[in-house]
Parts: sequence; C-alpha cells; structure tokens
Amino acid sequence: MTNRHFYIFKLILALVSAVENNYLYQLNDISRNIQGVQILDGISLNIQSGEFLALLGPSGSGKTSLLRLFNGLDSPTAGTLDYHGKRIEGWDIGLLRQQVGMVFQEPVVVAGSVRDNLIICHRWEKSIKPVSDLDLLATLDKVGLQSIDLQMDARSLSGGEKQRLALARVLLNQPQVLLLDEPTASLDHNLAHRIIRRVAELHREMNLTCIMVSHDPTLVRRFAERVVFLHEGQIAEDGPVAILNQPTTSQLQAYLAEEQ
Amino acid sequence: MENSFYAITWTDVLVSLVLMVMTFVLIRWWKIDLGKTLLIGTIRTFVQLTLMGYLLTYFFRQDNWIFMVGLVLIMILIAAYEGYSRQRSHPIPNYFMILAGSMLVTVILVLGLILQFILHTEPWYYPYAMIPIAGMIIGNGLNSATLTVNRFIGEINHREKEIEMLLSLGAPPRAAIQDALRESVKAALLPNVNAMMTVGLVQLPGVMTGQILSGIDPLIAVRYQIMIMYMWVTTATMMNILVLALVYRRFFTPQWQLKRELLRMK
Repeated sequence: MTNRHFYIFKLILALVSAVENNYLYQLNDISRNIQGVQILDGISLNIQSGEFLALLGPSGSGKTSLLRLFNGLDSPTAGTLDYHGKRIEGWDIGLLRQQVGMVFQEPVVVAGSVRDNLIICHRWEKSIKPVSDLDLLATLDKVGLQSIDLQMDARSLSGGEKQRLALARVLLNQPQVLLLDEPTASLDHNLAHRIIRRVAELHREMNLTCIMVSHDPTLVRRFAERVVFLHEGQIAEDGPVAILNQPTTSQLQAYLAEEQ
Repeated sequence: MENSFYAITWTDVLVSLVLMVMTFVLIRWWKIDLGKTLLIGTIRTFVQLTLMGYLLTYFFRQDNWIFMVGLVLIMILIAAYEGYSRQRSHPIPNYFMILAGSMLVTVILVLGLILQFILHTEPWYYPYAMIPIAGMIIGNGLNSATLTVNRFIGEINHREKEIEMLLSLGAPPRAAIQDALRESVKAALLPNVNAMMTVGLVQLPGVMTGQILSGIDPLIAVRYQIMIMYMWVTTATMMNILVLALVYRRFFTPQWQLKRELLRMK
C-alpha cells in the first residue's frame, strides 16, 4: 500500500466511523480532581480506531493523567468515557487492559529472564496457550531486538533494550490500542526516534491505535497524525499535526517557542 | 540446695535494683542522654508487673468461662488498638478491624488446639494455661503483623511502577502484588525461623529460664518450650497471611487501580 492509498483508506475509515458514530474512545466533559487539585478540566475528545494521536503539553498539563484514563489505571471524577461505545466502567477490566496496552516512561522489567518478562501474563492467565520461543523471538524482532537471548537476565539489558522489551511484552497481548507515556524520555535523541519510528510502522502494519504522551514537538511532528495540546488540564488545541506549523493559541505558540 | 525452687521475696526484688543503679552509673559516665527514660522504665516495669501479678492472682481465682473469654477478647482489642496506633503514619482503612479479626481467628485456632489437644486442660478455660498462652499468641501475633505490614508498605512503595505495569497488562491486583506479599511475609517470619535454629544453643528462652528458676524439671521445661516455639511460628505465619490478605485489598479500587494516595506518608 502506498502512502497515498494509506491516507485514502484512513479517510474512508474516518468517514465510516463518523457516520456510524463509531468512535474508539469518546470522552465527554471529563474532569479529574485529586484532593482539591484540578488535574483535568472538562476534556471532550473523540478518537477513531487506527489514529496516531499525540498528547503534547508542558509538564503538569495533565497529559499522563489523561493517558491513564484510557486503560482505566485511573478514573475520571466527572464526565463519561466510552470505549467501543460502552462505558469504560462496564468493561471487564482485565480484558480492556489486554486490548489497551501501555508502555511507561521508565521501562519496568521484573526479576527473571527475557522470556519470563515476555510471558508474564501466564502468571495470572492460566488458560492462554503457551507461546513458542519462535513466536517470542518474532515479537522481539518486531521491536528491533534481534540479538537478544531469551535466557538472558532482563535486568542486565540497557535502557533502550528494556523499553523495547516492554513494548514486545505489550504486543504479545495483541492489543488494539497502544498507550505510550513518554517512553523515550530517558533515551538519547537517535534511539528515541528509532523506537518511535518502529512504533509508527507497527501502527501502520497492525492498524494499531496509538496515543502517545510527549513533550517533544520534533518527535510528534515526525510520527503523529493528530495533536492534542493540553494546557493546565484543558484542551487548548486539537487538530492534524500540521497545526504545529501554524499554532492559533498563544499557549501553543509560547510552548513551541520554548521547546525550540 | 535440695530443691532448686526459691520463692523470691520483695526484699530480693529491691536488691535487684542494684542492677539498675549500675546501669545508671554507666550511662552517666558516658553522658548518654537516656537517664530520665530509663528511670521511668524502671518504675513502670515495677508498677506494671506488680499490678499484673495481683490481677493475675484475681483472674486465676475465677472459675467462669465467660470471664475468661471476655478477658481474652479485651486483650485482643487492646493489642489491635496498639497495632492500629503504630500505623498512624500510613493509615490503612479498617486496619483496627483487620487486626482484631485476624487475631481472633488465630487465637481461636491456635489456643483451641493447644488447650484441647496438647495440654488437655480441665476445664477447657483453665486460667493458668489460657491467659499466659493467649497473651503470648496475641503479643507475638501483633509484633509479627506490625513487621509484615510495615515491610509490605515499603514493598509497594518500592514496587509501585512494577505493580502498575502488571495491572496495565491486565493482571488482577492479587497477581500484581504477589511478590510484595511474599517478600513481606518472609521478612517478618525470618526472625522466628532464625530463633528456631539457634534456640538452646546460644541462650535459653525466657519462658524456659523462668520455669527452671522456679524449680521445674528442665525436661518438662524443654517440652513446653518446644511447643511454644512451634506456636510462635504458626501464630506469626497465620497472622501475617490473614492480615496481609485483608490489607492488600485496601490498596486497590474495585476497578483494579492502585490507590497511590495511600502510599504517601501522612
């Protein structure tokens, strides 16, 4: 599929979604208030299946707090959040989180080998069928970890390798959505771009919906398709990634000026 | 001395104060700032234990099961309150009820087994056995539970990211926190297990020393001590597992979310 075909396909998908009102996520007037502090304030947002959306904003603007609502790691204190047209509280939470994978800012590996880390879901999902080493290696290959031994102690991996391992672990759940909470914040520029490029490729290959928190406009410009700019817990701007070239709000202008 | 039993008199106890005088001299010599606390401790030991002696004499004269059961329940409530107030820096919802309930279950099972099948007491609430053994179970259970809960809070603070990562993969809270639970119980049990390894080699346990001093045949004292060692470890294990099984749930919402606000110190 060429790039042009891809965008036409996306457009058709978007139209179908809009006609059927068939959004993947529908956020309606979401707020989150913790001990009197307003973290999110009146967020309304629709996300379609297959989008690559970036949540951009200065630190403390509520990006991560918003991201954590999408897999139910936190709940809104007001407003409604629908996933596949159904209230998120109504979902079987284990099933929801298998469908909505998350990669955190700091990669977490548990004590044990690379294999133990990859098949960690077997600890609580006794019914899933065993995954062969070949499948595990194929998944590692997908995230660009070709030369890793499955027996290796996962804690001896480098930061970038751990983050790829974390990504592979999520992919093994065959998610529909991938939440990325600044997964490359602790990595150098080149490595960060390599990893996100891989994510963008997976997004296209698997029609994976990606929601990525970032404070790096270069990364967002390069890989995301849509940007939601947050300022003090509210959406200041929302549009295709091109809005970064012509910001309309003073907040986004100020933010981009500061980041460049 | 024909019989090793010697009934220590109050005069003898007063003479034992010489030991405390020696301690005072030593800490004054090194100018250790502990004099006042030590003085209060010396007086409190004397007063509390004397009162306890009179109280026990009174209790032991009671031939009434309701009285004995009531007494054990009061001991449980006092211990639960003590444990609850030690946990103020990290309040856990319903912690008092969790402690009291776990202690009650442990006491019923362990004390019941000991009185009925080991000591064959007659009547079953025989005060000379019931009160001191209940006291040991409750005291040891409280200490162990405090250790394990403190360790558990340390563990979830330390493993917060790991727990959230596991939850985000779809793990139920129990699976996400399993390693923290195991580590906490293990850490709290270790002193008890170590005591089993060295008992009798390095020092004689307090209960056994007391019995031998009061003229009991060492072989009988030893049999009691063996039972007590087993009782300690069982009590600690039961208490730790019961308390943690109830405590860990307080750290999660029904939506399988970690209540991160509970991890921060008050």
